[in-house]
Amino acid sequence: MDKDPLILVVDDETQILRALKAILGANHFRVLSATTGKEALILAAAQCPDIIILDLSLPDMDGIAVCEQIREYSRVPIIILSVRDNERDKVAALDRGADDYLTKPFGIEELLARIRVALRHSAQSPGNTQTVIRAASITIDLARHIVLRDEEEVRLTATEFKLLAYLAGHADRVLTHQAILTHVWGSTEADHVEYLRVFMGQLRKKLEPNPDDPQHLITEPGVGYRFKTGE
Amino acid sequence: MIPKKAIVLPESFHFALRLIAPVLVIGVATLLLQLLSSLLGAEIIALLYLLPIMVCTVLWGLTPGLIAGFMAFLAFNYLFLPPYYTFMVHRTQDLLTLSVFLVVAVVMSQLIGQARHGLELAHHREWEATRMYEFISAISGQHNIHTVTQFIAHHTQEAFRLERVEVYQDNPRRDESYVYALPEKSEAVRKPDLSIPMMTARTLEGEIRLWLKGELLTKEEQRLLEAFASQGALALERIRLSQGENRAQVLEESDRLKTSLLSSVSHELRSPLAAIKASVSSLRSGAVDWDNAARQDLLATIEEETDHLNLLVGNLLDMSRIEAGALKPQKKWNSIEEIAAGVVTKMRKQLKEHQLELDFHPDLPLVSSDYVMIAQVFTNLISNSVKYAPPHTAITIQGRREGEQVHIKVINQGPHVPEEHLERIFDKFYRVTAADRVTGTGLGLSICKGMIESHGGRIWAANGPRRFEFHFTLPLTLDGSTPRIPQEENGG
Repeated sequence: MDKDPLILVVDDETQILRALKAILGANHFRVLSATTGKEALILAAAQCPDIIILDLSLPDMDGIAVCEQIREYSRVPIIILSVRDNERDKVAALDRGADDYLTKPFGIEELLARIRVALRHSAQSPGNTQTVIRAASITIDLARHIVLRDEEEVRLTATEFKLLAYLAGHADRVLTHQAILTHVWGSTEADHVEYLRVFMGQLRKKLEPNPDDPQHLITEPGVGYRFKTGE
Repeated sequence: MIPKKAIVLPESFHFALRLIAPVLVIGVATLLLQLLSSLLGAEIIALLYLLPIMVCTVLWGLTPGLIAGFMAFLAFNYLFLPPYYTFMVHRTQDLLTLSVFLVVAVVMSQLIGQARHGLELAHHREWEATRMYEFISAISGQHNIHTVTQFIAHHTQEAFRLERVEVYQDNPRRDESYVYALPEKSEAVRKPDLSIPMMTARTLEGEIRLWLKGELLTKEEQRLLEAFASQGALALERIRLSQGENRAQVLEESDRLKTSLLSSVSHELRSPLAAIKASVSSLRSGAVDWDNAARQDLLATIEEETDHLNLLVGNLLDMSRIEAGALKPQKKWNSIEEIAAGVVTKMRKQLKEHQLELDFHPDLPLVSSDYVMIAQVFTNLISNSVKYAPPHTAITIQGRREGEQVHIKVINQGPHVPEEHLERIFDKFYRVTAADRVTGTGLGLSICKGMIESHGGRIWAANGPRRFEFHFTLPLTLDGSTPRIPQEENGG
């Protein structure tokens, strides 16, 4: 990239803004900040940031509403950064267009890693998606429907492959139960988390060296799953 | 309000029947007696006339009986007493017969009519008393407003001929009013025919609304309905008042807890804050030139203590949700083994000095549970085990199916807890040893208890042979159902 990526940070806590500006600046990002939802919407439209970090509790409007309004015209990655740690808020934010969710207090390494993942995804989508995904010893060829583990082909059922392909196609991002169930089984089955428990268990047995300590097929408690490439 | 047409017609019809029937009966009797008149004396005929009069009184009541008596009197005079076919009487003896006949007929009708009325009344009273008894015994043992409302509707429907009944439970002090209709889920197509308020001396508790099947309620039925309404109102009021009392008790209890919580927690919150403040202020003061290792130490302290503070705040929040009864599990079908494995992975750093073993039966079914809460329970039980069990010993997590529940054990080789304390370790701020070497909020185990109980499970602790065990159970069904797993199409 010829210029450093531009980050819009939306938070009404001035201490958090001050800390994030300093830390992100030191990590070669240009930082814009907003303290209200309205300000955030104006800046998002006028400055076209490369990524938005958004707090859910804003003085004038709910963060999820901000997220929805931005999604009406833009695919810019949005990472939620909030003290709300209940799963319902996380799921709501992710289902309404957020790309990722991090709870306060957070480790800065974690935040930087999530920012990198989000930027990488926005650089490649849409259209030119990768067809071969590699994560440690696992190789998934989406086009040819082939999955290799340690260079040996793993036989997956059609449903298992569909599930794995969807997760790997959105590598390193949280996918909610509902999103996964709707994609793999259809919207009528969107409440049946038990399907996922069973099929994810099968996938882990076939792909993970230690299914009890998965490295790639990661559970996001109460929210969904994440396919971790381990960048 | 009352549909007039529907009731006027049968009522007048009934009335006409009561007038015409005795005339007909006496007519028929007169024809028969006329045939037999040559064989019988006038006195016998007078006696025989008493029979149809009695029949009329028994069948239709006092007025038809009197009508029959009067008709019989006229017919007897006209046909059977000379001079025949006139209403005149010549002989003194006949006049006497006629007079006695009239008196007997009237008195008899009256006596039979009263007996009949009394019997009817007794039947009604019995019916009323039975209904009332059933009603009161049904609602008296209840502690739930909705159940009582439903009972009132069911009993009203059984007691009266109704198209539809609706019981509305209302309370001005809360906005949770409740309506129950029978047949269930039926919609009212018109205004109710009758609405009876359910009132106590103090408040209006609600209303019973009736849609009748044509006929009006009799006076007795109305009286019964009013009794239902007032008894129902009393039952509703009783429950409401006792609930208010419970709430007051709960509030008092939670107030007491908050006070002890504040005193216990302020210490726990201040120590990490003190460490952070000390570390940060030393790093910022330019007085000392810290070497790299010392800097790293101070920074590590800050990070660890921040995490500790965050954990404390999380615990306090969980506890306050449990106390407020606001802890509602988001139940989904989960693999308990997966939850346990996830927790173990997360706690790897704290588990450095212990070996952790997972021992789950391979066929353990999915359990309807809140992933995050059960993970929290495992976290608290494991960190409790880590605190008390000696280093380099094993901590085992076991899962087995036992009938309609799953039984989980977290086993460590920590010291025994005296039997009399086993139950109390799940109480808030309860510590077995007074001078406690262990840090924490004293909330971990009581949070576990709150979370497991909100799942309909049970949690307890036990001393085993050279080990200490935590046990908990979770029901395997969710609203009576078990998970449905789609059949995999042909693999490929």
